[in-house]
Amino acid sequence: MSQTPQGQPDDAMVDLAVKLVTEGLSSAEQRELDVMDNEVASAYLRDLERAAAAVTLAAGTDGAPLPPQLALRIVRQAEQHFATLAGNVPSGATAAATTTSPPRVSRWGAYGWLAAAACLVLAVFGWMRSPAPPQAPAVAVVAPPIVPAAPPPPPAPSTPAQERDAMLAKSDSVKVTLGATKDPAAKGVTGDVVWDPATQKGFLHFVGLASNDPAVKQYQMWIFDAARDQRYPVDGGVFDVPADANEVVIPINASLPVGKAAAFAVTVEKAGGVVVSARQHVVALGAAS
Amino acid sequence: MLQRIASGDSAAVRECIDKYGALIWSIARRLSRTPSDAEDATQEIFLDIWRSASRFDASQGSDKVFIAMIARRRLIDRLRKASAEPPMDSMEALDMVASGDQASSSESSMEAEQATRALAELRPEQRQVLELGLLHGLSQSEIATRLNMPLGTVKSFMRRGLIKVRENMNIDAEGVSARI
Repeated sequence: MSQTPQGQPDDAMVDLAVKLVTEGLSSAEQRELDVMDNEVASAYLRDLERAAAAVTLAAGTDGAPLPPQLALRIVRQAEQHFATLAGNVPSGATAAATTTSPPRVSRWGAYGWLAAAACLVLAVFGWMRSPAPPQAPAVAVVAPPIVPAAPPPPPAPSTPAQERDAMLAKSDSVKVTLGATKDPAAKGVTGDVVWDPATQKGFLHFVGLASNDPAVKQYQMWIFDAARDQRYPVDGGVFDVPADANEVVIPINASLPVGKAAAFAVTVEKAGGVVVSARQHVVALGAAS
Repeated sequence: MLQRIASGDSAAVRECIDKYGALIWSIARRLSRTPSDAEDATQEIFLDIWRSASRFDASQGSDKVFIAMIARRRLIDRLRKASAEPPMDSMEALDMVASGDQASSSESSMEAEQATRALAELRPEQRQVLELGLLHGLSQSEIATRLNMPLGTVKSFMRRGLIKVRENMNIDAEGVSARI
């Protein structure tokens, strides 16, 4: 039985429905639900799914747009999908006119998609170049004439340490002292961050940070942007400390534009880093004043 | 827009990527373990959208909710297949840093507003259970361990919280219908 005499789903049905929309079901549970399946159960399940989706929407986004390469892959995937549906697979193979009927003009023609891809890249690339806090880009704009890139800046100092020194000399750069945690890797560590909001670049500086095996674990830098959801700091990149290095200076590679850097943190993660840290090994923290 | 996608309108597809790319990317990153997982999931979600667009029924909710439902289904499926550690965790040190105002941009939709109101009416521990499950991808047993709470209590909180949101949405819908 999956519903009460009053037409309401029973407890077993509700429990399975809740589990389905929150974490999914095992094969056995799914079979159990399938047996219960009926109009009431389906409607109830759909309502719960809507509720879960609404909570997800209520949590909002962090404002980061799709990475441009990913957006392009999605565009190409859509092109292939709809071309296949239309029986017009763009395989590049021989497309000789062996049919007597006129070739069907696909709405997913190559020129349309090239234009779409160009618009996407321009929009997302435009976001990447902008130092302003990120907003979801309005892509559907006519691409402006391509302007030659600005001349490259003068040659940068040759080492991260020299670049850090140069950044420290800039009046608008920010220096934040990092406090070591009780994590074993942080014992006796001193460190700081120098961050330049204008260029969105910065440097980590550590003395005494334990070395790591890059094949197993890496350090990962996080930037807490005051304008973003603080649960999801911006990834500042992974880095290693060689065995013989007592002092290291590491360039920060923020994965997203940072509006106002409020705090910095360094964690130990698996090789390659993570999207969201489990925060089990935090080695250093520092808040901007 | 979804009806236009179903009919093969390339402009609608572009519009969908532009309009919902950030939303899907954000959800995918929350419920994925690695950057490459999030990218793969995002591609799969968009493919699911192309395939499912014809099933969209505006009377059942907004296109935004429809897309969030598709995203959640795909991500839950991937999480189950991975069935390793949860994608997120909390840690006291960083939580201290992260305890400021939540500055995320809420996705404006009637359903999101209804959910926000329903969440506000829950007890803090109920809301925490719901958020850990729905937003952080933790299973009920993982939440029980994390919060040092009996599994039965977690199940109860999850169930009541979700039903509260559902009721809020249905009540609002009925209220709108009654006013029309």
